[in-house]
Amino acid sequence: MEKDAGLLMARVRARDADAFEELYDAYHRLVYRVALRMLGDAHAAEDVTQSVFMKVWSAPELFRGGNLGAWIVRITRNRTLDALRSRNAHPESELPATLVETEAIEDVAFARLDADRVRAALSNLPPEQRDAIELGFFGGITHEEIAKRSGTPLGTIKTRIRMGLRKLRAALDGAVTV
Amino acid sequence: MSAHDDMLDDVAVYALGTLPEAEATRVRAHIETCAECRSEYDMLAPAALAVAHGAPDAEPSELLRARIMHEVRAEAAKPAGVRRPLVWPAYLVAAACFAIAVISSIVNLSLMEQLKSVQTLSAQNAHAASGLAQNLANEKTMVADLLDENAQRYAVRDGQVVRVGDRLYITLHDLTPPPRGKVYQAWTLPKGSKVMAPSVTFVPNVHGVAVIALEVNAAATAAVAVSVEPEGGSKAPTSQPLLVQALN
Repeated sequence: MEKDAGLLMARVRARDADAFEELYDAYHRLVYRVALRMLGDAHAAEDVTQSVFMKVWSAPELFRGGNLGAWIVRITRNRTLDALRSRNAHPESELPATLVETEAIEDVAFARLDADRVRAALSNLPPEQRDAIELGFFGGITHEEIAKRSGTPLGTIKTRIRMGLRKLRAALDGAVTV
Repeated sequence: MSAHDDMLDDVAVYALGTLPEAEATRVRAHIETCAECRSEYDMLAPAALAVAHGAPDAEPSELLRARIMHEVRAEAAKPAGVRRPLVWPAYLVAAACFAIAVISSIVNLSLMEQLKSVQTLSAQNAHAASGLAQNLANEKTMVADLLDENAQRYAVRDGQVVRVGDRLYITLHDLTPPPRGKVYQAWTLPKGSKVMAPSVTFVPNVHGVAVIALEVNAAATAAVAVSVEPEGGSKAPTSQPLLVQALN
């Protein structure tokens, strides 16, 4: 993939199908895997994947710089939450999208982030922290619902998420350009 | 634990995307004014997004890539003015509604599902795959015809009869489902004949929309009609037609 995400997206905005295909090649597995993990249905996950990439193609101006991979993951998760809502699961939260995209993980590094390393980092978290993070991210439910399901005080769930994300960040720092 | 420690916990939950919208709005506003919380968010947000990479390995089908790239390349090939017209005539808007119904209800769902299923079959079903591909091509022709600004259009109640060259379509909306055991059936009147010829049977989709391609030569057809008939269709109309349209 072109290293400069800004240039790549500028080409996409100029209706360059080859640039879009580069973007698809770089991110389609990640998009599909997240949707499949959240939905548990290959057909529905492909529908979300198509929806995500057509969104990128039809509205590239919504990318306002920063981390392209992060932007695409946000679209993916939010589109998948829409799909879950249509199943009457009523997830209430979305990944924040209004803040300026973080630059902390550089684009190419994010796209190539080693899935095995992320899984290893997740598996090294205390189970209660890992469960809270994975249930929150992939389950599409709020921290309140996580607390209710696990019978754990709300404040404890919040602290587990924060401590878990801090450890995850520390574990991944060596894997990415910061 | 201080109140601000509580807020730092909220920032982490916000970064993970698991705060209800009302709370997310509150935390978002705070982050924009608090350097410590902004710093915490900047540190945790990449970790939260990295969780996406923890999803198990999986790969979408090549058919998905083909579908997406076909759509993208087709649109990229269009001149900018054609791609996004500023104002559409009313009849094109109506036709586009039918086209969307066709694309979403027929192409994207039914046909693509069939194509996906066929893809998994063995070589002995290659012939079937070829037939479905032909169906896809036919659907594309139909969509193009319905959007054709040079098409001849005959207004009928809740729809149109559309003629493009020798091809003929009936598009209907707000169509109620037929009674149990009944279907709608199209009829065509060949030029020089006084007897209606039976054509396809159909039912509207869940939105009350039906788009029917009539397998006749439009140039040799004097009129079309639609009536309610028993399932399986009839050889001659058994009820008063709900529409009759002469073609000129």
